Amino acid sequence: MAGSDKAAMALIEDNSGNWRVGVLFSQTGVTSGIERTQLNATLLAIEEINASGGVLGRPIEPVMYDPASDPKKFRAFAERLFQVDRIRLLFACYMSSTRKAVLPVVEAHRGLLFYPTLYEGFEYSRHCIYTGAAPNQNSMQLAKFLLSAYGNRFLFVGSNYIYPYESNRVMGDFVSQDKGKVLDELYIPLYPQDKDFERVIARIKKTSPDVIFSTVVGSGTSTLYRAYRAAGFDPTRMPIASLTTSEAEVAEMGAEAAEGHITAAPFFETLSSPTARRFVAAFKEKYGADAPVTAGAEASYFQLHLAMRAVAKCGSDDPEQVLANLRDSEFDAPQGRVRIDPENNHTYLWPRIARLDRNGRFQTVWNPGVRVKPDPYCVVQRLDDWSVDDLQLLHP
Amino acid sequence: MAIQILRDLRGLRVHVVHPPDSERTSLVEHLRRIGCMVETQWPVPDCWSEGADVVLLAIEHDVRGEIQRLLKSDGGHRPTLIAVVSYEDPSTLQLVLEAGAVAVIERPIRPFGLLTNLTIARSLWLERREADKKMRKLERKLAGIQRIQKAKSILMDGQGLNEADAYESIRRQAMAKRLSMDDMAAAIIHANELLQYRPKDD
Repeated sequence: MAGSDKAAMALIEDNSGNWRVGVLFSQTGVTSGIERTQLNATLLAIEEINASGGVLGRPIEPVMYDPASDPKKFRAFAERLFQVDRIRLLFACYMSSTRKAVLPVVEAHRGLLFYPTLYEGFEYSRHCIYTGAAPNQNSMQLAKFLLSAYGNRFLFVGSNYIYPYESNRVMGDFVSQDKGKVLDELYIPLYPQDKDFERVIARIKKTSPDVIFSTVVGSGTSTLYRAYRAAGFDPTRMPIASLTTSEAEVAEMGAEAAEGHITAAPFFETLSSPTARRFVAAFKEKYGADAPVTAGAEASYFQLHLAMRAVAKCGSDDPEQVLANLRDSEFDAPQGRVRIDPENNHTYLWPRIARLDRNGRFQTVWNPGVRVKPDPYCVVQRLDDWSVDDLQLLHP
Repeated sequence: MAIQILRDLRGLRVHVVHPPDSERTSLVEHLRRIGCMVETQWPVPDCWSEGADVVLLAIEHDVRGEIQRLLKSDGGHRPTLIAVVSYEDPSTLQLVLEAGAVAVIERPIRPFGLLTNLTIARSLWLERREADKKMRKLERKLAGIQRIQKAKSILMDGQGLNEADAYESIRRQAMAKRLSMDDMAAAIIHANELLQYRPKDD
């Protein structure tokens, strides 16, 4: 091959070096608590693969930055990762605003984003694999549980952005299907102050709901739960129920504030399956016994494995080829056997519900043992949907 | 109508209600490139501005309250509304529909599509305004016909006239008193009510 052709080839495809992948999770800022667990899990998966020889003999090299919970920084670093660092696969994002900032950059560079976080649905991109729960994989399950176990008078409290508004719409619809009542809908800033929580506590006292449905995210979560505890309410009669409160937020608030409250998620640190235990043990060995292992971390972990398995199969990190190999891909994740749904690039997941015990650990209270197909564009869900009942086992 | 809308784009007064960022800057640049006269505004104002033909409104959930206040402040004349959205979920779309947007621009905002959406939005808004005008006119006409009908039956019952003579009577009296037929009919109805009144009916 002539010298100039060789040089040209070298520029286009580096077949001998590391597999460089982009990683963007906030290490500082309002949602850094949970995002750090996602970063850690991503790095753990990379380390595991590298320890067993890498992908086709070549190690994975994460290229990462700290976007500090700021969508603008997420966008800027995404641009840098694609243009300067020349990565093609990106593992990133928690809040929807950051995903929205990053996705156009991924699409413009024909890359592939792996998004490991629950969100409000109503999105699809060829260039994104969504491995967190869509609303039909957590909201309905939580609604059914709460309506049957506590009552149908709900109070909504959320952070002031897209996810809580849409989640409240969905939950409000379930409450009216059950002929219940939404007593009030309160929104606090993403960076809240004490007076915001005072207002919430006052409303709780006034309205006396059966359930407080919280879509507060980030550092405000622990403040809310602590304020609830300080006000002396009883979580056995009026729990805070959430889709987002995870082991990371519990670590911030402490066991006393956490006890008795409820979360719906596909994964909890306390899951007892061998795969789950192995993952949690490996995570804690690397990051410390107190390191929280969250659902977002579990998704980050299995999505990295899934992605690199696809790279190994096609011998390239070319997003088109990786995508083709990901279709209908199944993987034994800590939560159970998950599967990418080629119709919508979302993932079949295993919804569960857990209550926090007096030690601040999630104890599963409802595990239907059903894998739920993602339906991100479902506007109205019916409470009497069969897939939530305690019957079906996974069919092959 | 179509070609006139396109002609009117030049000089169209567009208010861009959008957070000040780089997306707003390039949006404004392109609107000016098309030929519009652009003003920007943020935060969301309390009421619609008089000098705007078109308003591009950023539907942001964290200013939902302000947006809803703006929507309630209907001064009777609402400009053409185009929504700028970041999400497609139902709670966002609900806001878009409540706002009465006649076109939508999705993020990331790019030049292609702005002209098309402006055109379609303007066209829909004009159509709706024409339809509203026509409807009000028809409602008035219908009410008028009902009044004449009522006045006729009062005369037919009270004076034993047939329909044609009752109509003629109203027409003649209206001409003699220099009133419109509608006013005459209203006077007959009113007079009839006064004459029918009996104190013991209270």
